[in-house]
Amino acid sequence: MRMAQLSAILPRPAAERLRRLPLSRDQLMLLMAAINLLFLGLDTYLAHLISGTIRPREWIPVLFGPAAGITLLVAGLIALRRRQLATMLATVVLVASIVVGLMGAYFHFIRGTLPTAPLLQRITIDLLVWAPPLVAPLVFSLVGLWGVSAAWVEDPPNSGRLRLLGDRTLQLPYSKTRAYLFMVSLGMLATVFSSVFDHARTGFDNPWLWIPTVAGVFAVGVSAGLGVIKEPTRADVATHVAAMILLILVGVVGAYLHVRADLVGRTAVVPERFLRGAPFLAPLLFSNMGLLGLIALLDPRER
Amino acid sequence: MNNDEGERTASSARLLIVGLVAVIILLGLVLLAMAIGGSLVGGAETAERVNALATSDDECVVCHRQTTPGIVQQYGQSTMAAAEVTCRDCHEVDADHAGSVEHEGTYVLAQPSTAMCEVCHTTEVAQYYQSRHALPAYVAYAGAENLSPELEEMYLAVPEIGADSEQLRMRNALHAIEGEAITRFACEDCHNIGQPHEDGSVGQCQDCHLRHEFSLEQARKPETCNHCHIGPDHPQWEIYQESNHGIAYMTGGDHWNWEAEPGTLTVEDFPAPTCATCHFSGFGATGTTHDVGSRLTWYLFKPISNRRPAWQDNQVRMQAVCQECHNDAFIDEFYTAADELTEAVNDRVRESDEIVAPVLDQISEVPFDEPIDFVYFEAWHHWGRTAKFGAWMQGPDYTQWHGIYELLADLSELREMVDEYEGGETAAGDGE
Repeated sequence: MRMAQLSAILPRPAAERLRRLPLSRDQLMLLMAAINLLFLGLDTYLAHLISGTIRPREWIPVLFGPAAGITLLVAGLIALRRRQLATMLATVVLVASIVVGLMGAYFHFIRGTLPTAPLLQRITIDLLVWAPPLVAPLVFSLVGLWGVSAAWVEDPPNSGRLRLLGDRTLQLPYSKTRAYLFMVSLGMLATVFSSVFDHARTGFDNPWLWIPTVAGVFAVGVSAGLGVIKEPTRADVATHVAAMILLILVGVVGAYLHVRADLVGRTAVVPERFLRGAPFLAPLLFSNMGLLGLIALLDPRER
Repeated sequence: MNNDEGERTASSARLLIVGLVAVIILLGLVLLAMAIGGSLVGGAETAERVNALATSDDECVVCHRQTTPGIVQQYGQSTMAAAEVTCRDCHEVDADHAGSVEHEGTYVLAQPSTAMCEVCHTTEVAQYYQSRHALPAYVAYAGAENLSPELEEMYLAVPEIGADSEQLRMRNALHAIEGEAITRFACEDCHNIGQPHEDGSVGQCQDCHLRHEFSLEQARKPETCNHCHIGPDHPQWEIYQESNHGIAYMTGGDHWNWEAEPGTLTVEDFPAPTCATCHFSGFGATGTTHDVGSRLTWYLFKPISNRRPAWQDNQVRMQAVCQECHNDAFIDEFYTAADELTEAVNDRVRESDEIVAPVLDQISEVPFDEPIDFVYFEAWHHWGRTAKFGAWMQGPDYTQWHGIYELLADLSELREMVDEYEGGETAAGDGE
């Protein structure tokens, strides 16, 4: 069976260099999870700072992000000697991340609704646009989900069979590679929703705002499509790689445009604008998902 | 192309097709949503005001819906209610909280103090405490002698009080002369913006952020400031109406983005400024503040205006707002000219001092008991200040006819009055 692999579309020397990467695909995924959690802590801190006062429950993701990120990095070091212990530690952290994300989505949703308003006005598009970003906390859950997937070894590669504690195994309906692709698609869907809701505040007056929407939706379809295809061709992989590179570019250009908007044309740095204006870290979520989409296509074998 | 080749082509492009189909579906949905949205609202911009408390069974809401339905209705439409801030969050306090009253089995502040606002709006309150809208406004009529040691310390920590002369702490004698029955509806109504609460916190946030809607739009509109900044002593509202900024507001303000996210305002939201834009809002390269004096360079309200502490920093902050529409040369030229006008008006007010100086020993020390007291007072308090405000806020009629012209007339009247004093003295001397 053919597998969706990046090396399949690269020239032989480049593919060879890719195989000699110091970290395996799952290790890279865990590293990305750790980095994501660290940044999510910072991003959440900045977002929650907007009101000027961070409420007790709003501290949960702010503190959890860096704590979880650092713990994952420590788990990575422990894994060099005691793989099982590191896997357990990472799993606990990542499951907690899933819970934190779900709690955040719930709190944001509740904050975005008017439970005691007239029935038809309790949830409106307007409310959801102006509420705290509904799907943003789910990034914690997504990181947890892909982190847990990365923490458990798939043996043999691309079989969908995960080695758990002791001799126990878990057979998944899909290979890890395909699961990663579905998660990238899901993550992109959340990112697109988040970006559409955020950009809707400006009424989409700026035509540039359609680029992340279109590129994001394209990537959602392509990633999910590649996950569905049992035997992807080189063209399929190439299309996916192109979509992921597009996402990375969209993220970088978006971050530049957001910073430029916050500089209000005079290159003066007003911290308030970076807090309340265009979120400068948010577009990098596109790049993040693009990078994950590329890592998903690396050699699935363990080192 | 044979069948195999066709299949291969389709197979190699299948993922691209999937992605493009997803995009086309998205665009179709967008068009559909736009069409439905357009037909539902008829293309009109109708923002519905939702009452977040319409079906609330909260005890406070249920009861006050009967007793004071107006405030429940207002609060229901506020963003604070939408953010799940309850009545209790602002009103309910411990039994031993200074100023609390027992109410339906709990203890409340009938009017929440600034300490209650500060729980969430910490930065805003800290900025406000540094401003003339805080204790200095209150002391202007009530005096500083009855302040507690803590309030005295807070008062002296306000930069413009600590850094300047006794004149700034001067209590206006009219308050005592007019009497409580009048001042309650007069000076106190405005100057209580800096009144202390029993719990030691200071100020009336709701003077600018009207309860119970606490609407951004209301706070940003100049009519809010109009409550106090109007009339002969400081006619900023009238001057603003006469200025190009005010004309822009009155002719186009309906289309401005009054609910724009604080701290991110640009000329797209506000093509011309209101009072709030220049003095409070985060606009252009200037951050939001609740210290109304933090962008001002002169003490224009004083008889003889002098520079504020750190006025150069204040100027940078204000000019960063101006720069969003005006070029640097225009702003520099304007500031230079307005500085010159301020000095020129200062000279005229000094002239009034010089005119009355020879007869000071003949004028009673009791304030406002002789016509000359009123003319002397109005010369700087009404006309001198109006001339300066008119220039800085670009209301030419207020600089000219309601300002310097009236000041000149008062100087002339003062000379006549002084002549009468001197004539009287001479006559009395002759008699002796």
